[in-house]
Amino acid sequence: MNFILLSVIGSAIILDKYAFGEFGISQPIIAGAIIGALFGDLQTGIFIGAMLQLIFLVGLPIGRDIPPDGQAAGVIGTGSYFLLRVANQTGHALCLALILALISAIIGGALETFVRRHNEKLYHLFMKKQKNLYLYHLFGFIPAFLRSFCLILPIFILANYIRIPAQFPQLNKELLTIIGLSVGFANSIYLFLKKTTVVYVIAGALCGLALLVF
Amino acid sequence: MRLSFTRFLKVLFANFFIQTSWSFFSMQSMGFLFNLFAGAKKEQRDKIIKTHKGFFNTHPYMSSYIIGATLRAYDEGDVFPEETRNFITIAQTSFASTGDLLFWQTLRPAMLLITAILAVKCGVIGPLAFIIAYNTIHLFHRISGIIDGYRMGRDIIYILKARRFTTVRHIFEILGAFFTGLLISLASLEMNYLLLIPITMLFVLLLLRRFPSVLIILAVLLVFAIMVMV
Repeated sequence: MNFILLSVIGSAIILDKYAFGEFGISQPIIAGAIIGALFGDLQTGIFIGAMLQLIFLVGLPIGRDIPPDGQAAGVIGTGSYFLLRVANQTGHALCLALILALISAIIGGALETFVRRHNEKLYHLFMKKQKNLYLYHLFGFIPAFLRSFCLILPIFILANYIRIPAQFPQLNKELLTIIGLSVGFANSIYLFLKKTTVVYVIAGALCGLALLVF
Repeated sequence: MRLSFTRFLKVLFANFFIQTSWSFFSMQSMGFLFNLFAGAKKEQRDKIIKTHKGFFNTHPYMSSYIIGATLRAYDEGDVFPEETRNFITIAQTSFASTGDLLFWQTLRPAMLLITAILAVKCGVIGPLAFIIAYNTIHLFHRISGIIDGYRMGRDIIYILKARRFTTVRHIFEILGAFFTGLLISLASLEMNYLLLIPITMLFVLLLLRRFPSVLIILAVLLVFAIMVMV
C-alpha cells in the first residue's frame, strides 16, 4: 500500500478521536485491525493493535487533560510495521515500529495541545463574526486532520525507505506480548482493582485457570 | 411536547461534531451553539447566540441531554434566560463527571480489555464485538439524551440517578475486574512470570504514584530498550 494513501487513511481514522463521532474506531486495536486488513494480514494488525491497546488502556481525556496520543500510536505502530516489513526482517520491523509508536504518542499529545490552542483563534474569529458559526466550527476539522497527517506522514516515509542495519536489536512477538501484558495488567489493576471488586478479580482468575485445565 | 423527527435527526447528526473546534479557552462552546442551531428555529438563533456564546464543556456523549433540555426551554419561549443559563452551568459539570466516570474511566477501558483478550484468542471477533457493543451504548445515550432532554426539560438533571448510569457503571466495573483476573491466569502458562511480575509491579507503582502519563510512556520505552538489549 502507498504510504501517502496510508497516511490519509490513518489521519481520517484519528479524526474519530474527538473531531467527529468518537465511535471508538481510532482505538489502537480497531485501527490495527483496519490497517492489518488493508495490508492483507488481519491477524498481525490485530495483535500489534491489541498490545498497544493494553499499553494505552489508561489514557483518560478528562477536562483539560490531554494524555499521550494512544490513537496515533496504534495507527503508526501497525502502519509502520507493515511498511518496514517489506524490506526488513520482521524482528527489526517490529522493534522499530514499537519505538516509533511510543515516541509518536508523546509527540502526538504535544501536537494536540498545539491544535487546541490554535482553535482558540477560531473562537475569537467567531466572536467577531457570529454569523459564520458553521464555518468556524467545522474549520476545526482541518487542524485536527493536519495534526495527524503531519505526524504520520514523515514516520511512514521513514518506514517506507529505511533499511535497518543487521546490528539493530530485534523484537519477537513473545517479548512484545510480555511488554503489552505487563503494562496492560498494571493499567487494569489500577482501574479495576478496588476493595469492592477483589472478589471478581479472584473469580476471573479462577475461571481462567479452569479454562486452562479443562 | 415532542421534538419532530427532522429536528431530532439534525441535532443527532450535529451532536457527532460537538468537539470539532474544541479549544482550551472556550472548550465545546462553538460545538454547543452548533448543536443548538441545528435544532432551533431560525427566529430563535439570535437569542441563542446572545445567551450561550460563553464557555461550555461536558462529556461529549452526555451533551445531548443538555442540548435537548435547552431546545425545550427555547420552544417554550424561554421567558427566563438566566434560569436556562444557570441550568446549563450546573448540568454541564454534573453530566461531565457522570460521563467521565461511566465512559472514560469504566466502560471503555473494560470493553477494550475484553476486546484485547478476545482479539488475541479469537481474532477479528474482538474488534467487531467492541464496535457493536460500545456504539450501542454510546448511541443510546446520544439518542435518548436528545429525546429525554427535550421531554423532561430542566428536570433532566434528575436522570443522573437512573439505572442507565449507575447500574451500567457497576456492571462494567465488575466485568473489568473479572477480565483483569482472567487475563492474569490465561497469561500464566504462556508467559515468563519472572519478567511479567516485576514489570507489572513497576507500572502499578508508577500509576498509583500518579506519575504523568508521558513519563509512564517513557518508562515503557526504557523497559522495552532494556529487554531488547538484554
